[in-house]
Amino acid sequence: MRTRWLWVALALLISFWVLFPIYIIALSAFSDAAEISAWPKSFLPEHFSLETISFFFGVEGVWAATLNSVVVAVMTMVFSIGLGAPAGYALARFGFLGKDAYRLLILLTRAFPIAILALPLTIRFIQLGIYDTPFAVALVHTALALPFAILVSYSLFLGIPRELEEAAWTLGCTRLQAFRKVVMPLALPGMAATAIFAFVISWNEVFAAAVLTLQNRTLTAYLLTRLVEAPLYFQFTGGFFLIVPSLIFIFAVRRYLFSMWGIASR
Amino acid sequence: MAGIRCQSVRKVFGTFEALKSISLEVRDQEFTVLLGPSGCGKTTLLRIIAGLETETAGDVYIGETRVNGLPARRREIAMVFQNYAVFPHMTVFENIAFGLRMKKMADEEVRPRVGRAAEMMHIEQLLERYSGQLSGGQRQRVAVSRALAVEPQVLLMDEPLSNLDALLRLEMRAELKGLLQESRTTTIYVTHDQVEAMSLADRIAVMWGGEIVQYDVPIKVYQEPETTFVGGFIGSPPMNFLDLRVERRNGEAVGRLGDAHIAIPETTGDRLRLGVRPEDLEVLSAAGSQGGFASEVLVVEPLGPHLQLTARVDGQMLRVTAPPDLDVRPGSTVTLRPNPVRLRWFDAESGRALH
Repeated sequence: MRTRWLWVALALLISFWVLFPIYIIALSAFSDAAEISAWPKSFLPEHFSLETISFFFGVEGVWAATLNSVVVAVMTMVFSIGLGAPAGYALARFGFLGKDAYRLLILLTRAFPIAILALPLTIRFIQLGIYDTPFAVALVHTALALPFAILVSYSLFLGIPRELEEAAWTLGCTRLQAFRKVVMPLALPGMAATAIFAFVISWNEVFAAAVLTLQNRTLTAYLLTRLVEAPLYFQFTGGFFLIVPSLIFIFAVRRYLFSMWGIASR
Repeated sequence: MAGIRCQSVRKVFGTFEALKSISLEVRDQEFTVLLGPSGCGKTTLLRIIAGLETETAGDVYIGETRVNGLPARRREIAMVFQNYAVFPHMTVFENIAFGLRMKKMADEEVRPRVGRAAEMMHIEQLLERYSGQLSGGQRQRVAVSRALAVEPQVLLMDEPLSNLDALLRLEMRAELKGLLQESRTTTIYVTHDQVEAMSLADRIAVMWGGEIVQYDVPIKVYQEPETTFVGGFIGSPPMNFLDLRVERRNGEAVGRLGDAHIAIPETTGDRLRLGVRPEDLEVLSAAGSQGGFASEVLVVEPLGPHLQLTARVDGQMLRVTAPPDLDVRPGSTVTLRPNPVRLRWFDAESGRALH
């Protein structure tokens, strides 16, 4: 009993630790400018106002940056699934030389600091003429999201019995047809979750986006450059607007994030 | 429908030789069971015939067609898997219709055929359900219906009943037998359950260590095992094996077991192995009866329809199936007389039957 209470208390503490700042940000985003700098601070939404939000979206460049973010995130999503799903399928279904090493290598790419990559990448992108384009940012974001996409789809495909595919083959399917008619429908919910996760990774990423763009900023990169000069309430609203989609998405796909580490959540 | 012919089929996984030059012929409309312990290669052979595994060497024919290299979908086979492999995202109806739809069959033709296949397995009332709403037995019925619906040349079954509980297995076994007798589809059925093999097969191919050690009708496999392995694997309790010393008296060879002498076939070696089924031993109370040997009863197990005795003779254990009302106590000595026409002699070294 005692240990149970300890766990509950710990969980509450951690939840508070994570949620409280988000709450403050949300509170500030929906208050007017005067309220934000008022002291002592009120922790209850007393003066609900959309003034700050509407001001935020009125600022020049916010909509363009948001659009850029969406474009980059969608591209990242498509690339990571397009590359990650076949890789995951190969890992789940075939034995090949260096399979374990390959899996480790996928994880190791996450250990490689992107800061070191930034300068060579910038130079190479300038040479290729894709610097300051959403495409270039999406490439880097794909590199970040791909390990997750591969490992999640690996465990997804592993969870679909091979016999289902074999049964489809014996009933007249080619490999591709069996994949389309049997494997895909079963993997689809998990695949959607993986895609959303890739989207969130891209949406939240700030460093590569800031280094690789000048005019065509994504929202994160745009806010980063604006934060220094912007008033407090602007920062709060920007922060809130970045957090919300991620929160919603992550909440929607949380079940599949466990499966990435092989923890069954059934 | 068509027969199946495997010629010198060999399969190597890395350094492990799963199949050593298998030759097997299944006649048109025949029900053949591949029987053997796990790891004997029976499933590998089935998967090679299905086209799910590639042979290292040898030829496979279905009907007159050499099917080497043909993908599973071109072999006109259907397969039933051990874990049913019912598609979970489709209704039972769509599962059974799957093979027909792949043949681009028109809807008005699919419907009656699915209905017929479902009727055969008594699952007409489940057609709208999904796999998750079915019990294991019902899923296996769906899998069998799905295989039969395409009216395959050859039906391949990989331990289809082994995931069912004992009672259900008994029921499904009888049903399968009736069904396949009617449809006369050429069938290869893989199992490690000797009772299943005996009850279903037209012919049993007993496999061991990547080889077929005997291929014959069930009663022959039971009564005249080719090797001691077959005798020991089939039958419950298995065949008894007793080693006899060969003695020569007046130029004639006799086998010696303890104090008893037993007539033996012509041999050059000095040891012989006698194989005798537990039910082919007659228990006689009078000592020294002709043709019998004395042995000590160690355990008596009353099983209802019969008594099972565990006895010892000449330091060797054997099991005897005795009538249920026999008066026998552990520790007593009885005379066991084997039925002379049911004796099976084996070479003591190789374990092969002497003919």
